[in-house]
Amino acid sequence: MTNTNFPKKSVLTLDKLAPGSHFCIQRIRAHGEVGQRLLDMGFIRNATGQVLREALFRDPIEVILNGSRISLRRSEARLIEVILIS
Amino acid sequence: MNFKGYRWRHRHRSWLATGQQVKEPVIRIALAGNPNSGKTSIFNAITGQHQRVGNYPGVTVEKKFGRIFYRNRILEVIDLPGTYSLSAYSLDEMVARDFLVNEKPDIVIDILDSTNLERHLYLLLQFQEMGVPLIGALNMADEAESKGLIIDVENLSQILGIPLVRTVGNKGEGIEELLTAALDLYNGRLSSSQRHLNYGVHVEEAHNQVIAALEQDEEFTKKYPAHWLAIKLLEEDPDAQKKVQQEHTKADTVLSVTESVKKNLTRQYQTEARNIVSEQRYAYIHGAIKEAVRQNPPTSPYDLTERIDRIVLHRFLGIPIFLGVMFLIYQFTFRLGNPLSDLIGNFFTLLGRAVHGWLPEGILQDLISNGIIGGVGSVIVFLPLVVLLMLGLAFLEDTGYMARAAFVMDKFFHLFGLHGRSFIPFMVATGCAVPGVMSARLLANPKDRIVTILVTPFMMCGAKAPVIAILTAAFFPEHSALVFWGVWMLSWLMAFCVALIFRRTLFRGEQTPFVMELPPYRLPTLQTILLHMWQKAREYLKKAGTIILAASIVIWFLFTFPHSKANDTGVGSVCQSEILAPAAQGGSYAVRIGRAVEPVLKLAGFDWKLGVALFAGVAAKEVIISTLGILYGIENAAAPAANGTSNLNIRDLLRNDPDYSRASGLALIIFVLFYTPCLATLAMIKKELGSWKWPLFEAGYTLTFAFLLAIASFQLGKLLLV
Repeated sequence: MTNTNFPKKSVLTLDKLAPGSHFCIQRIRAHGEVGQRLLDMGFIRNATGQVLREALFRDPIEVILNGSRISLRRSEARLIEVILIS
Repeated sequence: MNFKGYRWRHRHRSWLATGQQVKEPVIRIALAGNPNSGKTSIFNAITGQHQRVGNYPGVTVEKKFGRIFYRNRILEVIDLPGTYSLSAYSLDEMVARDFLVNEKPDIVIDILDSTNLERHLYLLLQFQEMGVPLIGALNMADEAESKGLIIDVENLSQILGIPLVRTVGNKGEGIEELLTAALDLYNGRLSSSQRHLNYGVHVEEAHNQVIAALEQDEEFTKKYPAHWLAIKLLEEDPDAQKKVQQEHTKADTVLSVTESVKKNLTRQYQTEARNIVSEQRYAYIHGAIKEAVRQNPPTSPYDLTERIDRIVLHRFLGIPIFLGVMFLIYQFTFRLGNPLSDLIGNFFTLLGRAVHGWLPEGILQDLISNGIIGGVGSVIVFLPLVVLLMLGLAFLEDTGYMARAAFVMDKFFHLFGLHGRSFIPFMVATGCAVPGVMSARLLANPKDRIVTILVTPFMMCGAKAPVIAILTAAFFPEHSALVFWGVWMLSWLMAFCVALIFRRTLFRGEQTPFVMELPPYRLPTLQTILLHMWQKAREYLKKAGTIILAASIVIWFLFTFPHSKANDTGVGSVCQSEILAPAAQGGSYAVRIGRAVEPVLKLAGFDWKLGVALFAGVAAKEVIISTLGILYGIENAAAPAANGTSNLNIRDLLRNDPDYSRASGLALIIFVLFYTPCLATLAMIKKELGSWKWPLFEAGYTLTFAFLLAIASFQLGKLLLV
């Protein structure tokens, strides 16, 4: 994704990234079980990773984080605030 | 096989043989670890063939354990369910946690994947927090080394304060050292530190406040480690909160203290307390790895796994590849399994006949040859299919492909409220519902699993298919292929719709997150696969077998009594030559029941003969046709069908029977497709879900559902089909 000049107020979330993008996690907005699962899988502040691919119909997506491949639904990725890094 | 592994398995065997008595207490060792840590291979390497399978109390999570004799001590090794964490959200995690808290094993060995320490140390830290006597096994060390990872075991062990042992589970390397370390830790020659990582000033302070509140109830902190429970409370763990609420004498104080310190933390750190806890754990792990692990040279992310995934998880190729893989497994199972099943079936037919010949005529003869041998036969006939299919699925699971399959199929299944993994049971059930129900174990969420199990029997299995083929040929001779295909599609459609209805009504609730690891591809060892297969076979015979046998005898009874010499309409009739005699007055109980419910059956255009045949079909669907043959023979004693089971005869008999129209034929086809699953499937549902309420519910709802559909299609058919 090359669109880096998005308006300041809108927050970028993991589900908006195209395959190949590198990201750095800013905040996890998830609660309850999803939130715990994400934490357990290493989705924490300042962790960096890369979106690897998406399934047919663009959902779920696969990311690589801390050397592990993790799949998650787009609806779950929407709960992860990220910034793009290059 | 590795020499070491052999040696001490051998030692164990000699102990069994001599029956040596040991007075010292059994040392209980729990094996824990992430799902892809190679835990099973370590467990197999330790226990070998001396494994037993049971369930954890109250739940249907499989518990594997085994006893071995090692250095004059008996070690009981318990294989805990693989988990990523010890939160309270999945059944597996709860089981592992409760086991550690309630059973207090003497030693806990955490199996770690050396190639992915970051993820695996996260769980290790949580065990350390629980204060259990802990050892870490740096497993798959060979793989890590070949990737250029150099782990300074001693240094890492010192940083963590936990004894670590290098192992290669599938080669049996390091097992001896692991057990020695376990014994040393048990005897106090080795120590496992219970100190824990520092969560930072503010968190530590909050943590201490919660501990202080917890310690007001001494009984409570004796039962649950206060240190651990305090962290869990900060993490908003629902089970920890429940424990405090139910058992702590000052529950309100504890919870209000927790609430207020959590609020403070959230204000200070701008994020929830549990996020801080996780962040600190990871920070600590990063630090430890930085000090004790060197990467030489750095691995490229484009390793073998990535290269395979580029094809297998390709956006457009993914689904065709998955369908192809399933097709291969399916072919392998049924191509190889069906002839074996036939052989077994023929063997039991012959055996039944032979026994029938040997025994003196009478009820006993009939019970043994038809009831018992027929019943046992109908259990063992499924064995090759169950075993082969479980073999195929175990292979897919152990290589790491199963998670990919879920990834590829998830979107579609998610629309119907199911998980991507539900595809496997559905697909398997199109061959046979018995292994289909078994394979629903792949689903971690209990609700997903129950819904999947309840609808998979709708699939057109290998036994229903020929019955439906004959019925379509009988009633729709011009369009039989089209009708058959339509019915096949209908079975999938209905399974999805009913699943969706269940998910929206009876089994509402939050769906499991799909957040899951796609583990690196690995080849499972032959030993792992064979052990798995053997366990499945034994389990199937033991559990399902007894239920099916009992039920077969009941059905045999209904078809045989009240007894008259000539009234032998045995189910799964092993001796069909017996059927030619005319019916006794009134007929067997089964026939009487059929006649009694005929007025109801008429709503769907069925008569008593179909009623009886369909009832017999609950034993096994194939029997529907042969029972019809018998009943035509009974009704028309003057001109009995030479061979009651001949498909051609049945087809023509049905077609020419003035009692049946095309509308009743359609209703019959739909009824057969959806009504009560066979006994073997019901028995498997009981076994898998652990309660009689599920098979009874399954039998009841499918019967109602199928009958309503049958009435609808009969009444509509009468209007539309002439």
